[in-house]
Amino acid sequence: MSNQKKRNFQIEAFKHRVVVDPKYAEKTWKILEHAIHEIYNHNASGLSFEELYRNAYNMVLHKFGEKLYSGLVSTMTLHLKEISKSIEAAQGGSFLEELNRKWNDHNKALQMIRDILMYMDRTYIPSTHKTPVHELGLNLWRDNIVRSNKIQTRLLNTLLELVHRERTGEVINRGLMRNIIKMLMDLGPSVYQEDFEKPFLEVSAEFYKVESQKFIECCDCGEYLKKAERRLNEEMERVTHYLDAKSEAKITNVVEKEMIANHMPRLVHMDNSGLVNMLLDDKYEDLGRMYNLFRRVPSGLLTIREVMTSHLRETGKQLVTDPERLKDPVEFVQRLLDEKDKYDNIISSAFNNDKTFQNALNSSFEYFINLNPRSPEFISLFVDDKLRKGLKGVSEEDVETILDKVMMLFRYLQEKDVFEKYYKQHLAKRLLSGKTVSDDAERSLIVKLKTECGYQFTSKLEGMFTDMKTSQDTMHGFYASHPELGDSRTLVVQVLTTGSWPTQPSVTCNLPAEMSALCEKFRSYYLGTHTGRRLSWQTNMGSADIKATFGKGQKHELNVSTYQMCVLMLFNNADRLSYREIEQATEIPASDLKRCLQSLACVRGKNVLRKEPMSKDIGEDDAFFVNDKFTSKFYKVKIGTVVAQKESEPEKQETRQRVEEDRKPQIEAAIVRIMKSRRVLDHNNIIAEVTKQLQSRFLANPTEIKKRIESLIERDFLERDNVDRKLYRYLA
Amino acid sequence: MPRASSKRKSSAPQNPPAVKSSNARSGKAKAKEIENFFDKYANGGIIDSPDGIVTLCKDLELEYTDVRILMLAWYLKAVKLGYFTQDEWETGLKTLQVNNLSKLKKAISELEKEVRTPPNFADFYSFAFRYHLTEEKQKNIDIETICELLNLVLGPQFRRQVDLLIDYLKVQSNYKVINLDQWLGIFRFCNEISFPDLENYDETQAWPLILDNFVDWLRENHR
Repeated sequence: MSNQKKRNFQIEAFKHRVVVDPKYAEKTWKILEHAIHEIYNHNASGLSFEELYRNAYNMVLHKFGEKLYSGLVSTMTLHLKEISKSIEAAQGGSFLEELNRKWNDHNKALQMIRDILMYMDRTYIPSTHKTPVHELGLNLWRDNIVRSNKIQTRLLNTLLELVHRERTGEVINRGLMRNIIKMLMDLGPSVYQEDFEKPFLEVSAEFYKVESQKFIECCDCGEYLKKAERRLNEEMERVTHYLDAKSEAKITNVVEKEMIANHMPRLVHMDNSGLVNMLLDDKYEDLGRMYNLFRRVPSGLLTIREVMTSHLRETGKQLVTDPERLKDPVEFVQRLLDEKDKYDNIISSAFNNDKTFQNALNSSFEYFINLNPRSPEFISLFVDDKLRKGLKGVSEEDVETILDKVMMLFRYLQEKDVFEKYYKQHLAKRLLSGKTVSDDAERSLIVKLKTECGYQFTSKLEGMFTDMKTSQDTMHGFYASHPELGDSRTLVVQVLTTGSWPTQPSVTCNLPAEMSALCEKFRSYYLGTHTGRRLSWQTNMGSADIKATFGKGQKHELNVSTYQMCVLMLFNNADRLSYREIEQATEIPASDLKRCLQSLACVRGKNVLRKEPMSKDIGEDDAFFVNDKFTSKFYKVKIGTVVAQKESEPEKQETRQRVEEDRKPQIEAAIVRIMKSRRVLDHNNIIAEVTKQLQSRFLANPTEIKKRIESLIERDFLERDNVDRKLYRYLA
Repeated sequence: MPRASSKRKSSAPQNPPAVKSSNARSGKAKAKEIENFFDKYANGGIIDSPDGIVTLCKDLELEYTDVRILMLAWYLKAVKLGYFTQDEWETGLKTLQVNNLSKLKKAISELEKEVRTPPNFADFYSFAFRYHLTEEKQKNIDIETICELLNLVLGPQFRRQVDLLIDYLKVQSNYKVINLDQWLGIFRFCNEISFPDLENYDETQAWPLILDNFVDWLRENHR
């Protein structure tokens, strides 16, 4: 400026100077143009930022922004075209490197240019809505370089080629890739997507389509899944290294679709290695992998679940209908428990404890357990076996575990009332023979049943326990009040309340003289303290320990049923007895007597009696003798026939019939309950409601419900509506 | 069971014939005629079988088992099977405006037409069942009687259905008796279900179980 600062300070109007020089704009522009050239030629160090900024500032101020801007555009474009040529000229691998280098240069240049033209950026551009400098620079780069004819396709192909090489195992320059991709991203999302991502995804899809086809021909299911998993991980890793994070979901979709979704059925059903084989062989790792991969695709888990369910149902069905298995009820149930354990493990180890799989497991079990009508009986027999001997010496915790598992099976039963009936029978036998391993275990199971089914289910069972306890007290009282009987307790009586115990028809049986006096004493004692009650001896449920001396002096203690005792005691007074004589003396019913004699005379190792003829069957004219030659290793010999067993066919029919009979009043009660509260209800709704109410005990048959409704109509509890025949009305 | 048959005619002593002949148009006289008519068959104040009703049928030239007798019983609102009380007779005949045999004959053929109209027929059908409940507190009728009744009452109108149903009732063993609900169900069945194709029979629609079984049997045996 001027050196004479101390003179009179005169301020001249600025505009004068500009107006004076018409070529001002042109001159100023030339300066700037030159600067841009220098910047692009890496000669920026010689420039004065401040001067250039001022020049630009002036241009804009004097309304030459337009000239500046358009000058900028054309200058930059010029340079970019040159750059383009040099990039095009690059060969092979250096193509990308050149592109990268030039890009970096351009960015640096752009930054400087932007700084210089900052004033224009902030004033002229916004008011004219033109593209800001930085963005302009990017756009120009995009249009002149990236999307130039000679570069665009080549760039894309190069990138895709590199990706492909990496996929086939080569190592590539990831840093370079990252930079180039970043360049595309910086140029705008549409550039990245249109110019790279979209074709990338298409090519990838093609690649994986081919690869998956190749693999599936030559690999088994487990191997294939491993490969698929690996590819998936690779792609995710690729994204983190040099692609836009938003691409991850898209590329993983591609892999999932091509490698998994398209081949799901074939994989799952693959011979010898598919899902079913994995389940059979407990291949937790493979199953886990399949679960994790399939959950990524639509219907993936559904597919697994469906195959698992149908396999399970099929296996289960075979299990419960296999005649071999049905021979041993305990084994039958154990096998069911094992199967349940197996699948519980699979679901927790490999299927992430997925609830939908748990549900599928439960519904399958419920399906096939109920295919066999004897399941309730068998489960009760299993429990019986455990409580008699199976749980001997087992820790309390383990006992609970086993009982809980049994409860799980119980829950699957549709005919819980059938189970109740058998359980009662078996419990009765256990209690009366004193053959239970642990009272605590018994009670624990009752509690579990009560929790599951309510008080009513178990009230009778608990009554049985109470009777046992009360009987003990009664015995104490009896012997206390009869000191003349001394210390030996030859008679032990259990007094059973009729309603609680399984009903038995009363039978005739003459007790031996040695017994009857004592029994009478007890009867009078009991009735003395409990007037108004009636006692009847259940001779088919008792047991006795008898001391016997045989021909050569061998002594044994025989544990026998009451019937057997009656028969044996006869031989105290006779050496030979015919069937008829025995029948007459004991008055035991024929079929029971025959069975009893068979168990005494025809079973090896337990034949304390001898029969002539030696046949297996008992004939009316057979003769019986004490078997003097009887031997046994043990002093105590058990001949009783009071163990719970799988029922014979006629017994089964009888039980089934009793269950059906018991159901009728329950159905009627349910119908009346529902109608009482609803007053009027149509047929289908009644059926549905009744079924629901009874569901916890058994599955009600709609035909049976209909029969009960008709019976109730006949007895004037209900009536049909006059107009709408489907409606029933409650008659108070 | 059948009584010693003594076809006694009139045992009505008191009424002088003079009353009958003079004012035949008057209600009282008419009533008297009806009473006399009644007494022709009555035996101690009621007409009962076999004496009275058998004779009445003969006079009417109808079989004892003719459905029109049953219709007459319905019309008279008879309560006890095989009996017409004096009340029932007199009230019924008065309404019919009948006081002698020839008028009764005519009335009965008219009656048949009237009974066969839908509202009356439904009532008649229900009556037919209830009329045959002879014991106190009886709710059911044995299968054999039912078959006869069906034939009598529904036969003319639904011959095919009735024949097949009777066949079925005789071979099935689930039910030994039929109750009123089932009886009424049969009527609705004949009215509503297209026969013999049974197209519109829907087992979920609260039909009595015996009809479900009948339909199953038909489908199995008569396709």
